[in-house]
Amino acid sequence: MSFPERVADYIQRVILRGSQPLCLLVDEEYQLLDFWGNPDWCELDELRAGIDARDPFEFLAGLPTDRPETLKFIGSRHHGVLHVHVVPETRQCYVILLDANAEHDAVQSTQQSMNELRLMHARQNLLIARQRDLISELVETRSELDHHRQEAERVSANKSRFIATMSHEFRTPLASIINYAELAKEPDAGSDVMQKSLETIERSARHLSSLVDALLDDGSLSAGRLELQEDAFDCYALFDDIATMMAPMAAEKGLSFATLVDPDVPRMIYTDAVRLRQVLINLLGNAVKFTLEGGARLVVAFKDNRLVLTISDTGPGIGEEDQQRVFEAFERGTRQGETGAGLGLTITLRLVELMGGEMSLDSVLGEGCTITVQIPVAVEDAEQPLERAVLPIPDANTQATAPRSVLVCDDDEDMIALMEHYLHRSGYGLITTSDTSDAIAKTIKFDPDLVLMDCNLPGIGGVGAARSLRQQGYDRPIVALTASKLSSTEQEAFTRYFRKPAQMDELLSEIKRLTH
Amino acid sequence: MISITSKICIIGDFAVGKTSVTERFVNNHFSEKYLTTVGVKIDTREVERPDLGINHKLVIWDVAGSDRFDAAQIAYLRGANGYVYVADGTRANTLRSIVYLKEQLSELYDELPTVALVNKSDLRADWEARDEHFDVLRAQFDHVFETSAKTGDGVEQAIDHLADRILDSMHQTP
Repeated sequence: MSFPERVADYIQRVILRGSQPLCLLVDEEYQLLDFWGNPDWCELDELRAGIDARDPFEFLAGLPTDRPETLKFIGSRHHGVLHVHVVPETRQCYVILLDANAEHDAVQSTQQSMNELRLMHARQNLLIARQRDLISELVETRSELDHHRQEAERVSANKSRFIATMSHEFRTPLASIINYAELAKEPDAGSDVMQKSLETIERSARHLSSLVDALLDDGSLSAGRLELQEDAFDCYALFDDIATMMAPMAAEKGLSFATLVDPDVPRMIYTDAVRLRQVLINLLGNAVKFTLEGGARLVVAFKDNRLVLTISDTGPGIGEEDQQRVFEAFERGTRQGETGAGLGLTITLRLVELMGGEMSLDSVLGEGCTITVQIPVAVEDAEQPLERAVLPIPDANTQATAPRSVLVCDDDEDMIALMEHYLHRSGYGLITTSDTSDAIAKTIKFDPDLVLMDCNLPGIGGVGAARSLRQQGYDRPIVALTASKLSSTEQEAFTRYFRKPAQMDELLSEIKRLTH
Repeated sequence: MISITSKICIIGDFAVGKTSVTERFVNNHFSEKYLTTVGVKIDTREVERPDLGINHKLVIWDVAGSDRFDAAQIAYLRGANGYVYVADGTRANTLRSIVYLKEQLSELYDELPTVALVNKSDLRADWEARDEHFDVLRAQFDHVFETSAKTGDGVEQAIDHLADRILDSMHQTP
């Protein structure tokens, strides 16, 4: 059905006026064959037949000419915004361009508002999400802070408790020493009182010494300064020693004590015997200390080149919540009423780790406790002679059996007096001095059989003096007797190294061994 | 010099910076003002490749933003030689949009040289796009560039890369 002629004319006039059509006829290569309409609105000055239509109308590039196509709102800086209609013909096509600038501006305005609203919505969602993240971060940070604060409070409380404990631990033996020293000085103190006072003073001093050792060990382990002194030794002898030490302690409390060593355990092993002993004493000491009924035992096995030590007791056990904390410094779990610095398990764990081993704890509150320690050890040839397995016989071991002289260098008069007493009693000739230069001069001059040297001395110090003596050709034993801890390099300057307070019979026995 | 004309379509979600990327590439210019594109805007830039003896004219179709193509937009893409997909790093969903648009396009047209641009790298502190979004993107696109139409970072490099891939594809086409 066609429009009446008058209506068709009207529609044509309206469309022509509104969209100012421009019709191009192009071939398959986009060459302009002809065009109709007024090209002025396109700002195209040189539209003429024969040109490449893609130059003024870039949108033609790649546009198929063999199928009808409608492209709306094609914008370009050359011709503004167009609606493009492709009407194919045989081997050519008409491209009808309609001015769409006015329509574009109207649509653009609506679309712009819509997109800005969508963008604002997206940003709002982003802000809400960020706010949510910030809140959860804040909650997390606060919870972490709370945790750290509680931890700090716990550590602080532990340290306060530790100071209170240490104060008590130090004061008790110190009080004994002072009081018994006063008692011994009484004019009417008989030999029995004197003997008992001295025994008590010695026992209290040794207890103080062990407390100081524990604190120093903990400090050294924390700072990573503790060095292992590894050597071959008879571990069966060590387990016997430990049993000999623990059995009376257990018996005193009415507890049973047993040591079971698997026959597969090699006799001669290579590790730090002193530290291994310390580990066993700490763990078995705790087992006996905390057990009120039943007993404690040590089972030793050997597996995959590791010494497996299982220490079990029938004590009160350690609750799950305390099992991690008992390995921390100054912690004693919830087992109150026992003495000690709360460093034993910390030191033990660190020592085991230093020896390359592992320690695990298995316990249920009220059902005892089992601690398993695994330490890698090298196995030594059993035929090798053992220095430490030969136990010295008292007296005969310390008494000089030939004329021997010892030079003692110490700046502490009491210590010189003490050494004079013991060395004279053991039959040694003595040269004493408190000065390193004098010690060097007298050693070179009198050539004593052994030099006993303190280390913390003015001037070049004991280590410097020992090195100087070696440089000057003195080749007899030089033994360090010092309260200072020596590094392994410093120890090399000496034949032997004893820490003050030393066991006097052990020191005298060593002096005899080195001089005879 | 041989003259070669290629049609490149810039596509992606709305307000990701397609027009700004085009403006930066063609006129080395940037405007902070956001102006929605309606339909398509066409621009051109010639890239000379004297080493190949080619003058490469790129006709760039900056297509109105959308997260899915309608029939009118699909018509714009007909006859293209390559696609530049653009996403906005500050809106992670626009990265998902270009993955979806690529899937939609692959059902309609043959595979063409393609690059993906994650735009607005100048606002990196505000980016929502995370590694996991990039992992998804890299699984779909061989070449992903982080760009800033504002500073120009990566824009020229990305479109030059696409132009090279188009020349490669022409060379390989019998």
